[in-house]
Amino acid sequence: MNPSLFRQLQAEYQKGRRRHLLLLPLGFLSFQILWAAWQLQNASESELRTGYLLLFHHLPMMNAILLPMMSAVIASRLCDMEIKGDTLKLLYTMQRQGRFYDCKYLTGLQYLAAFTLGQGALILLAGKLWHFTEPLRGIMLLEYLAVTFSVSAALLAIQQMLSLFSSNQILPLTAGLIGCFLGLFSMFFPKPIARLFLWGYYAAFPVASMDWERSTRIASYYEVPFPWTGFLVFLAAVVLIYLLCRTITIRKEV
Amino acid sequence: MKSIITTEALTKRYHQKAVVNQLDLSVPSGSIYGFLGPNGAGKSTTIKLLLGLIKPTTGSIRLLENEVTEKNRLTILSNTGSLIESPAYYGHLSGEENLRIICTLKNVPETEISRVLKIVRMEGQKDKKVRQYSLGMKQRLGLAAALLGNPRLLLLDEPTNGLDPAGIQEMRDLICSLPAQYGITVLISSHLLSEIDQMATHVGIIDRGHLLFQDSLSCLHEHSKSQLLLHTDDDTKAAQVLKAHRIPAERRKNGLCLCHSEDALVIEAVSTLVRSGIGILRLNEQQMSLEDIFLRLTGRQVSL
Repeated sequence: MNPSLFRQLQAEYQKGRRRHLLLLPLGFLSFQILWAAWQLQNASESELRTGYLLLFHHLPMMNAILLPMMSAVIASRLCDMEIKGDTLKLLYTMQRQGRFYDCKYLTGLQYLAAFTLGQGALILLAGKLWHFTEPLRGIMLLEYLAVTFSVSAALLAIQQMLSLFSSNQILPLTAGLIGCFLGLFSMFFPKPIARLFLWGYYAAFPVASMDWERSTRIASYYEVPFPWTGFLVFLAAVVLIYLLCRTITIRKEV
Repeated sequence: MKSIITTEALTKRYHQKAVVNQLDLSVPSGSIYGFLGPNGAGKSTTIKLLLGLIKPTTGSIRLLENEVTEKNRLTILSNTGSLIESPAYYGHLSGEENLRIICTLKNVPETEISRVLKIVRMEGQKDKKVRQYSLGMKQRLGLAAALLGNPRLLLLDEPTNGLDPAGIQEMRDLICSLPAQYGITVLISSHLLSEIDQMATHVGIIDRGHLLFQDSLSCLHEHSKSQLLLHTDDDTKAAQVLKAHRIPAERRKNGLCLCHSEDALVIEAVSTLVRSGIGILRLNEQQMSLEDIFLRLTGRQVSL
């Protein structure tokens, strides 16, 4: 009998014991907290007035540097236990390959969600600690978090596929590392070229932008309308990426 | 006896090469079916086909009286247990925690864990992390996992591979006890003839994807009945004389082998040769070993 989705997720939870996977988003989040503290410590009065916009403008770059690696490590930690233990041929006698992929992915998404929510809390906390005077629009925060989560979710699908295909996890982790560099550098490429690199999409749907006045060396941050159409197209692409990775993985014979 | 596994013309091709070719397997219920063949013969592929881990190119599979389809595969497999090639385990978890995962997926109460641990005699090691287990212990844990949920059928692919002699003996005893004590039919693959000889009630011999023999072990042993080896002063001429008199005999390197050893035929062969002026040097009775039978079936020397 095909076990229920709940049971299969429960099995994933049981497998995760002693893997301390929650430490991963917490670790990456701690790094971002330190970076945000340093950034805000050096911010001018005028910048702090628009502190939320400052964070919304700079955090995507940090995300592009850190989150591809975090997605790679989460996928690797979740999948290498199956590869090392040679468990797939046993599991596939009890659950469908596609459902196994779904459950693994949903488990990974939990950690991405924990990180994303933690980042939301970090932004709110920063506002309190550094006394940002600008009001925070909730929708803006949600838009920002939705972009962060959805780009990471697409990367997680790719990383999960790579991790399930690789007997040695060095390969998918290297792919994650290369993704970090590509993501970062793509932000400095012309837009049409930058759009070719998924890892750089953290900055593709901005909620804030910056004007840099060379003569006064003053940066001013301002809100930009969220590109909903583009984002919805991207969400559809995320679903396609997921389905493609899932199809490729389940076609692999064990 | 009813068949618990039946395959019809089961074939699996990779790049036009048939790894399993027109296989008609029939495993009787309540038996220990030894699936024998040299390395690369197609044993593991067949077991993977039976479990639906790979899709057949052509042919059909019936397990537990049901035709296996993609839809009912997992339902049918909920009544089977399997141990394929190397044992599957989560090294960072204890033996008991590993079994708990299988219980969750099989929807079996966790009270079953102590029962299967007792069967494989691992109650004492259940709290140890599996990565600290020996290979023998991992294999026994794999068998315990396969036994969860009281399956009617066990598919074991080379379960004694890599085990030391004591481990092999322990595994063998365990497997042999399963049909009588728990009513489980066991299909066990091996490339070791002696191993199958000690465990199986039925045998299937596969080579290069073809099923060469399938019957009870006693029937296979019947093939090993003694044969007579005749040494003459001119074996070539003797073979021609016997052939002319329609007495079945095979020319061997070391003499002539009489294909039948009935008394009347032996008397006739010897008297015919003597009448033809051929000197009889020796007449030896030779017991055919299982290796000889295998060699005869496969037509090639393989390591068994």
